Amino acid sequence: MTTHDHRTAEDAEALTARLTLDGVEVPFAPGETLLEVSRRHRKDVPTLCYDPRLDPFGGCRLCVVELEGSRNPVASCARAAEDGMVVRTTSETLEGYRKTLVEMVCSENRQVDVDPLSGYASQELRELADRYEARTGRFEGKRSGRSKQDDDNPFILRDYDQCISCYRCVRVCAEQEGDYAISVKGRGFDTQITVEFDGLLKDSACTFCGQCVQTCPTGALADRKALRHVDTPGEIEKTRTICTYCGVGCSVDVLTKGDTMVGVQPAMDGPANVGALCIKGQFAYDFVQHEERLKTPLVRGDDGELHPTTWEVALDKAAEGFVKARDEHGRHSIYAIASGRAPHEAAYTTQKFIRAGFWSNHVDNCSRA
Amino acid sequence: MPLPTDDDLVARWKDEPAPLLPLLHAFHDRDGHLSDDALRAVSAGLRVPLADLYGTVTFYHHFARFPPGTSAPRVCTGQVCRFQGGLELLEALRKDGATPMPCAGRCDDAVPVLEGHTVKVGRTCETLEARSSPLPPPNPDGLEECVFAAIREPGRATLEGYRATGGYEGLAAAVAGAPETLLTTITDSGLAGRGGAGFPTGVKWRAVRDAAGGPKTVVCNADEGEPGCFKDRAIMDHDPHAVLEGMALAGYASGAHVGFVYLRYEYPETAAVLERAIREAEEAGVLGDDVLRSGFAFRVHVRRGAGAYICGEEGSLLNSLEGKHPFPRERPPFPVTHGYDDLPTVVNNVETLASAAQIARRGADWYRGLGLGEHAGTKVISLSGDVLRPGNYEVPFGFPLRTLLHDWAGGPGEGRTIQAVTMAGISGGFLAGDDLDVTLDEPAVRAKGSMLGAAGIMVFDDTRDMLEVAHACMEFFAHESCGKCFPCRIGTQRLTERLAGAAGPDALDGWSGEVRDIGAVMKATSACGLGMAAPLVTESLMRYWPERVAEHVESLS
Repeated sequence: MTTHDHRTAEDAEALTARLTLDGVEVPFAPGETLLEVSRRHRKDVPTLCYDPRLDPFGGCRLCVVELEGSRNPVASCARAAEDGMVVRTTSETLEGYRKTLVEMVCSENRQVDVDPLSGYASQELRELADRYEARTGRFEGKRSGRSKQDDDNPFILRDYDQCISCYRCVRVCAEQEGDYAISVKGRGFDTQITVEFDGLLKDSACTFCGQCVQTCPTGALADRKALRHVDTPGEIEKTRTICTYCGVGCSVDVLTKGDTMVGVQPAMDGPANVGALCIKGQFAYDFVQHEERLKTPLVRGDDGELHPTTWEVALDKAAEGFVKARDEHGRHSIYAIASGRAPHEAAYTTQKFIRAGFWSNHVDNCSRA
Repeated sequence: MPLPTDDDLVARWKDEPAPLLPLLHAFHDRDGHLSDDALRAVSAGLRVPLADLYGTVTFYHHFARFPPGTSAPRVCTGQVCRFQGGLELLEALRKDGATPMPCAGRCDDAVPVLEGHTVKVGRTCETLEARSSPLPPPNPDGLEECVFAAIREPGRATLEGYRATGGYEGLAAAVAGAPETLLTTITDSGLAGRGGAGFPTGVKWRAVRDAAGGPKTVVCNADEGEPGCFKDRAIMDHDPHAVLEGMALAGYASGAHVGFVYLRYEYPETAAVLERAIREAEEAGVLGDDVLRSGFAFRVHVRRGAGAYICGEEGSLLNSLEGKHPFPRERPPFPVTHGYDDLPTVVNNVETLASAAQIARRGADWYRGLGLGEHAGTKVISLSGDVLRPGNYEVPFGFPLRTLLHDWAGGPGEGRTIQAVTMAGISGGFLAGDDLDVTLDEPAVRAKGSMLGAAGIMVFDDTRDMLEVAHACMEFFAHESCGKCFPCRIGTQRLTERLAGAAGPDALDGWSGEVRDIGAVMKATSACGLGMAAPLVTESLMRYWPERVAEHVESLS
């Protein structure tokens, strides 16, 4: 995962505070955690409950590192770097703990492998299970979490059988989205992600922004729309673009398989959104491939009905209408509104057309609202 | 009198400090449970998100969401009570909707049954009666005590009785002098945290005094949830002013003007005792805006928990007090700088504060001198299980365990021998065999791979099946694991399943390997003491009773 808050090595070099990281003295910035320093130095410290956008939580304990002077290893995500610390990010003992922890986590779920269409972070547990060769079947026993099968909302699959209680969904909902829709019910192994009174998302404070889906490391919360395309042939390709719906300018990756658009994921390094999206940018893209979408120009005939025609004919007809309006009522009689569902190129072309074509600034976009 | 409306209850509490728990209790007391409408009213009244509130309420064992709620009895099925008829009593009371509750801190007077705000005790339905909790038995050797020195004096629980036996003299002397003088006395006395962590009290108070920012707060940790621990209840029930005096001293030394007693739900009578003591002290000017006419202001509020062992962990306690989900906090930062409301806070155990009151009156040297050898001071031990005279005993640090078990508490029953004891409630696991030849002080107990901790000791004679005991202990930890960190949340569950024979390998090597690996990762990486301590149970089980473990695993195949 890319952090939005990367300090460059030069920035840090200017600072006098230093710690020893795996035998090498390194500078750090005030407020950096041991995990941030470690990742900046490309140490592959594993995590499951960590999302760089959220406050440190210290739940999964995979990120524990050895800190000289400390009896037990410390959770690097939650420990602030201090001058003179001596830190080891890997050792046989640490890797042993990490393997046991990943094996324990695997034991509480129905399956480790989930389709990558489930969500942005959905492969994190699978990758760790591979890295630690943790598919050993050790520590088997009761499974945690109960899927909320009666929630048939079209966007978010609540497959809590796959939940590992990292609370990233709860925290992203509160800290990033400010919705406070998701919370933790019960305790211990019976912990269950829930909403008020155990209800459906549509009856809760949820706005279906999809943030919980994209931060979930196991696919327990999954993108139901994207999962419609599990069997669509082809590799998933990601194309970076900007959401067209409004003026914020959220960066998104459009997911495609072949010629088919299969989903949208927020760009964690998007400067305007840092991984955030709203329900529209996240889920409202069905119009792109909708069967009722116009694919040929239509021109109204003398019979009052619309008839398919060629672009040449249609453009001539439109030009004729514009010219007539301008000549009869003046250039300010023409006003264009570009659609938030049209591509950026169309929005650009629209304003160019009005400005250059009619010498008018009477142009707007529905997404400005 | 008509019942208060939702608005009345919200208005009563919304501007009070730490209002969430008392407001929830107000609805819970009025209705017997917390209805959807009650949660909506609390959410709107305190402006807390409804989903968070719902989740947090479900965290607590004793908050009922539906009828019959508080009117249904809750029967203690703790380790000691299940040897004394707890499970049978639960079955007999099922007709009234009874449910089990974990150790309710009355191991010296079994079996406690919680009915509304009353604790009844008895071993059968017929003998259940409400009676006050037992006084600590006097020690037969006549050794000088600190915390219990005056607790058996008649009327000690009243302000008048307390003052007649030297009470508040220490506070009067302290507030007449500089806080520095008090800090020096407490530091020199060697007093250290009696809740189990053993952090030097004077150092803690000074750290809060020196910490930037405020207002500062004193929190008395009275969430005595450790199975087999009932010492804080005895102190609060019979010597409540000592706790208040200790809190005022902590406030004066650290610069705090507000104190909270965070009291476990299972002690409703204790809540009433404390409230009365606070009222008396405020009316007499001992507490309030002008403590003993010194100009120092100090007020104490009682906040009741709602049934969660983890809230005895100070980070969870502070989160609970603030109305947040009671997960432990990452440390550092520690409460001395980031405690209640993220501001400097003294968090002390009941026994620590009661000791401080005595030390302020009688001096550092007196207290140091109470310990044996190099050890300073005393420790209250809650002793229960298979001994003739269970109860709270105050021993000098360094006192031999066997003397306590046999000479003071009368030893095991006729014809029986002592097979094992628990340490630190159950958090220290078991000691057995030659390891019972240990003195009661932290270094000696730690040398045996255990810990003294809050010093609950449960005794098991040679008729007890220690595998079954270990299973019940682990079941408790699994029930109380908060769910924040992976090693504890999954580990306590998996260890419980393996001790129950419900899951796991059926060959000894595989079984032991899994139990050891889980234990190692829990001890090293858990987010708080619960997860770190729980594997001591399986560790000591496998150390002392390998044949019993082998027999158990064999029975699985």
